[in-house]
Amino acid sequence: MSEMGLWQQFWYYMTHNGSYVLEQFSRHFLIAIYGVLLAAVVGIPLGILIARYKKLSATTIGIANVIQTIPSLAMLSILMLALGLGVNTVIVTVFLYSILPIVKNTYTGMNNVNRAVIDTAQGMGMTRMQQLFLVELPLSVSVIMAGVRNALVVAIGNVAIGAFVGAGGLGDIIIRGTNATDGGAIILAGALPTALMAIIADLLLGWAERKLQPHGM
Amino acid sequence: MLQNSWKHYRKIMLLSLCALLVFVGGCSFPGLSGTGKSDKTVRIASVTSTESQIIANIISELITHETDYNTSLVNNLGSSSVSQAALQRDDADIMATSYTGTDLTGTLQLPPEKNPQKATRIVNSELKKRYGQVRYPTMGFADTYAFMVTQETAKKYHLNKVSDMQAHAKEMKAGVDSSWMNRKGDGYKEFASAYGFNFQRVYPMQLGLVYSAVEQGKMKAVLGYSTDGRIKSYHLKVLEDDKHFFPPYDCSLVVNGKYLKQHPDLAKLLHRLDGKIDLQAMQTLNYQVDNNLLEPSVAARQFLEKHNYFRGGN
Repeated sequence: MSEMGLWQQFWYYMTHNGSYVLEQFSRHFLIAIYGVLLAAVVGIPLGILIARYKKLSATTIGIANVIQTIPSLAMLSILMLALGLGVNTVIVTVFLYSILPIVKNTYTGMNNVNRAVIDTAQGMGMTRMQQLFLVELPLSVSVIMAGVRNALVVAIGNVAIGAFVGAGGLGDIIIRGTNATDGGAIILAGALPTALMAIIADLLLGWAERKLQPHGM
Repeated sequence: MLQNSWKHYRKIMLLSLCALLVFVGGCSFPGLSGTGKSDKTVRIASVTSTESQIIANIISELITHETDYNTSLVNNLGSSSVSQAALQRDDADIMATSYTGTDLTGTLQLPPEKNPQKATRIVNSELKKRYGQVRYPTMGFADTYAFMVTQETAKKYHLNKVSDMQAHAKEMKAGVDSSWMNRKGDGYKEFASAYGFNFQRVYPMQLGLVYSAVEQGKMKAVLGYSTDGRIKSYHLKVLEDDKHFFPPYDCSLVVNGKYLKQHPDLAKLLHRLDGKIDLQAMQTLNYQVDNNLLEPSVAARQFLEKHNYFRGGN
């Protein structure tokens, strides 16, 4: 194999292990998606809550900030003590890192809705729920989506480290490359799809963000 | 009062966060094997070494192909003591590779034992007694330290056994695994007194480097693992350990006893691997993965297909 150049080795690897790479690719993606979805389910309502009860915002964002400062490898090890080895530990890690961008963006988005618009909505006799779903959320959805987008890209990077607790994913291929005799090509085979996934996810969510933006904004 | 309610809120936040984490930790997610704990999923632990990952994939492929169980690999663990811990904590059901020597002195903290059969007996019974684990009969290969030289050196000095080196040791530089150098019981000091010679100089180095060091002529002889794929890719000559100095590292798989009792069908299936992978086969597999850029899972599947999943045996 040493007579082949790095890229030749890379293509050779891809043609011989393509289905395996694809399998790990989808696994990697699912782990990231599940973590971010959970964070969205928790984070968006929380963001709406603290936008309404502003007194709670400092504490909530403070806690989220503290979580964000923990290095990912340390977070993984701490969680491993409580949750053991495996995929769930990584999903929880992704969840924790996704909380801050989602909560913060939701909070900012809700706060930036023009007071005059809300007053008008109230004047029209809307209930609070109607105000939320018909006025405030549509107006802040693109900011919220930006948070989700941010969280997903970070998550895809973090999942690669999850290979250390036995979760699988593309990080597995990268680690194997560091152990093999001449593993440059194997490292590339793990790293390039990871980068590609992050770029594609970012583009797709960027497109969704623009689509969700209400007309005339 | 206000201060109090904030503190209260913070407490509620943190508590609910913790509760959520524990809840998520126990969830199972569609499309992801290895989430949650299902009776039909076998979890196999393996360490970072190529060999361990190949064996784990062979076990996994055998189980998924021959039964309706699913498998999930708990891969890339740092050392065999981590994968032992995974088994003890019930994070995994099967430990793919357990080497007698490592388990004896590492996991069990017992003194080294030179007699292979005796060592295997001690490890098997102690693992059963202390942790209720069942250690299978060896898969057929032993991973041990071995001295190796290039074919040219072997021809020039007429080397076949380790003791053949005695006459030339004074002019030979040797590269060895740095963790072996000062080991008690079977380290360099004991080696020198058992074989009755010292090398000109011994260089402790990282194990992964010794193979290319001898291949490039930087070292005359090196101490490496007997199953490494690079022995084959560099055409190295492994010298026979004629004084049986290096302790046996027979390789077996270990299963949680409780799990095995609940799944007698698996117990029988796993016995198909007993003695089926000899040194030659393991070297070839390691070579395919380390040198020929094959993924362990692909190499494992090809190996099992070639042998018809060992249906003939047992």
